[in-house]
Amino acid sequence: MRWLAGAATLSLVGLLLFSSLNLSPSLQAPELETMAGMYGVRNAVAAVVLGARLWDTLFEVLVFAMAMVGVRIALRPLGRAQGAPPVPESHLLSQAARLLWGPIAVFALYLAASGHLGPGGGFPAGAILGSGLLLLALAQGTESLAQRVHEGALERLEYAAVALLLCTGTAIAWAGTKSPSWFVAANLLVGLEVAIGAWVVLHRFVAHRGEL
Amino acid sequence: MPLILASCLTLALAAFALTRRRLLWGVVGVGAHSLALAGVFFLLSAPDVALTEAAIGFGLVTFVYLLAIRRTGKLVVVATPAYPLLYQQGERIQGLEWEILTRLGRHLHRDLELIWTSRAEIAPLLRSGEAQLAAGGVIPRPDEGLPTRPLVPTRLVLVKAGPGRVGAIRGDRGEDHLPAGGQLFPGPEELLQALAQGRIGGAIVDLLRLRNWHLAGRLSGAEVTPVQEDLSFHLVVAPGEEELAHALEEVLGEMEKSGELAELIRRYLA
Repeated sequence: MRWLAGAATLSLVGLLLFSSLNLSPSLQAPELETMAGMYGVRNAVAAVVLGARLWDTLFEVLVFAMAMVGVRIALRPLGRAQGAPPVPESHLLSQAARLLWGPIAVFALYLAASGHLGPGGGFPAGAILGSGLLLLALAQGTESLAQRVHEGALERLEYAAVALLLCTGTAIAWAGTKSPSWFVAANLLVGLEVAIGAWVVLHRFVAHRGEL
Repeated sequence: MPLILASCLTLALAAFALTRRRLLWGVVGVGAHSLALAGVFFLLSAPDVALTEAAIGFGLVTFVYLLAIRRTGKLVVVATPAYPLLYQQGERIQGLEWEILTRLGRHLHRDLELIWTSRAEIAPLLRSGEAQLAAGGVIPRPDEGLPTRPLVPTRLVLVKAGPGRVGAIRGDRGEDHLPAGGQLFPGPEELLQALAQGRIGGAIVDLLRLRNWHLAGRLSGAEVTPVQEDLSFHLVVAPGEEELAHALEEVLGEMEKSGELAELIRRYLA
């Protein structure tokens, strides 16, 4: 097993070295910039994810939403853990979380809103916002945070975001509309879905398996 | 060249994370590895993937691991409340023994989980390995795990308030001195209630509990006679956890050398 892992690692290193030497054959594909221009955006990745390969993204969003519903349904019969032991407070952590939460949220919003202009987009923005929520959970305890963020409303908001994204996305994919405002809206919706999804899934696991 | 350097750094950090024995360092290694990997992606002209890797690998995953470590990497301490050695005030846990335990936690990079229980439950929990440490004014029996050096000297006394049977706390050292026909109680509170209500005539307890009863003004006019001298409160490490016992002795040794232990004893018990 160890030898296998070593061989796999070495071959990965070899691949990296090989790619850095520019010896691999180059693919014949349309210029990325040209494609980005077709959709009226500057980030070629956004043009692929939310333009040329919109169906892939829509189904990916659907898979994520289904995973969330699956976690909810599968954990329901387990029952909720009662009575958490007291956890000694860490002032450093709670102060750091309070200080960092604002910048994290603003940065995530910025990444989602500017995903069509530069690196970023809904998925990393959602992951960053989700990390921010986890940081708060680490500092305050998951249950107290769940009460403060009104989890029921958050979940409904997420399902609404998924439904809106799928409906408008399908319409846009059918019609073949090319508008930058779609990119902004879709990135914000995806960010919202990923962030709330990450939080809800974690909280479900914690609530049903004991306080962390 | 920078790409090769970043790749080597990624591998080195992965090796670092894999070889750490402490979970916390492992998680720190995995987080740093993700960050280095994000650097590799960035150098390969994939800033979007780099951003996602940094957000998920460094942010989300690290926090999930940290949350999990809170549970799995914890030192489980079972204790009975014993003011001022170990007690809870609102949400906060305080006391002389708690100060020592938090230092031990910091020393080992592990969080503490405190479970309040009755004195009689402590020995079985230590034996089964469900708890690694026992605290809260424990005067250990010789077969009860690995006791630390004596923390605070005490003695057992018989508190006689009237005629009748003598009571003690179940599992406590007082139980060993209980005369025939004596009654056992789950905790000091039940013992005190029985004594105050006259259901029993006397109780065998340690000086700390007697002091607390006096301070609370719930015991007056009782006659106190010593039962066993030269005892002390200890922290007790579960049997088989020699490494933990050694680490605890190390922490106590340092605290004693720096005078911190004496200062804490003065602060909590003066």
